[in-house]
Amino acid sequence: MHAEKLQAIVLSTLDYGDSDRIASLFSLEHGRIKAFARGARTSRKRFGAALEAFARIEAQVRVREGLAGLQQAEIVTIYPRIRGDLPAIAHALYACEVVEAMTPEGHPLPRLYRLLAAYLDRLEAETAADDSDRRFFEINLLNILGYRPSLESCPRCDTPFGTVGALLQENGEPVCRACAPTGRPLHPSALKALGACMATGTFGKVVFPPDLLTEGGALLDRAIATHAGRRLKSLEFLGQVTP
Amino acid sequence: MRLVGELKKLPGIGERTALRLAFHLLKSPHNMTALAESLQEVRTRVHACSNCFAVTEDDPCAICTGNRDGGTICVVENSQDLMALERSNAYQGMYHVLEGAISPLGGIGPSDLRIPELLERVGRGGVNEVVIATNFTVEGEATALYLTKALKPYGVKVTRLAHGIPLGSDIEFVDAATVQWALQGRNEL
Repeated sequence: MHAEKLQAIVLSTLDYGDSDRIASLFSLEHGRIKAFARGARTSRKRFGAALEAFARIEAQVRVREGLAGLQQAEIVTIYPRIRGDLPAIAHALYACEVVEAMTPEGHPLPRLYRLLAAYLDRLEAETAADDSDRRFFEINLLNILGYRPSLESCPRCDTPFGTVGALLQENGEPVCRACAPTGRPLHPSALKALGACMATGTFGKVVFPPDLLTEGGALLDRAIATHAGRRLKSLEFLGQVTP
Repeated sequence: MRLVGELKKLPGIGERTALRLAFHLLKSPHNMTALAESLQEVRTRVHACSNCFAVTEDDPCAICTGNRDGGTICVVENSQDLMALERSNAYQGMYHVLEGAISPLGGIGPSDLRIPELLERVGRGGVNEVVIATNFTVEGEATALYLTKALKPYGVKVTRLAHGIPLGSDIEFVDAATVQWALQGRNEL
């Protein structure tokens, strides 16, 4: 079996024994894979600082069922500006954890790879990590993975939300007032702003006013918690270091 | 089999190595007694210093009670890092061991480390400089940035260990990330 050269983003790593490491990679070619990097903790020559969370690398991997073999990794970028900014680190690690929690193993998702890479590039370029960008990333991630929430009409009875808006349910589903008597009210503008995020496809094009950011954020937080199926550890730290 | 099971729990020791060690100990009862005694001694005598949290037999530890510069505190992730700095003979100040680093993906936050104790030490006064010597990993960088922010209200000088190309190495063999960092932190001569 020959080694393939993959473009990948390191999602997380796990030390194994004294000198090895298991890396969770999100690759353009194969989606999320777990790879065993023999000697990664001691071999500066073969891996250097490549196996650090959110580093973008070119990896030589023997892809096989179960654990792949990572032979060598070259750094494309370690995103030095992100590494010098605490809120940016928190956002980048959160994005990596969301992708790791919500993607299946060994299933190529090139659109999601490009979205994650664009988000990291955006964090690297921005002087301050912006919560609008996080929400832009999240709604597009849900859309790519097939978990897009219904933003125009009630998913239960198909009534358009129109100018009335919707009521947000615990599972992150916005429904009309006839289908659910209670729930967090969502203004139509918040739903429209989330829809615009999916229409533009470019970071920075949609800027959420603070109240819409809170409402849209509540929808995305609940939807991601429902679909991820586990508590995201990085979320608490993100809350601590961002306003 | 119990001994093999216990040995296997140690880092870097697999099934075969554990078996080999167990048979080696069985063949030399003297070694086994010495090992058992030293393990028992470590368990009863070694603990964390109540001031700096370094592993020590005495409390406060020899560094905290020694003739050192009390105005400088070097913050490290663990006692092994402290020992590495001590081996250099280049630092004469005090230490503070965090007992880890902030790891958002591992669920380790600032409150899980000895950060409140560090802030309390600095708050007591007499500290002019805090040298942050956490590792140059994402976790180490996050910890350094968090500490820098947390220490700002105390008005002390906060410094970070320098990083770049290792001594005795050829630039052509150094990885791109290290060269990138070295260029960013270049000094005027």
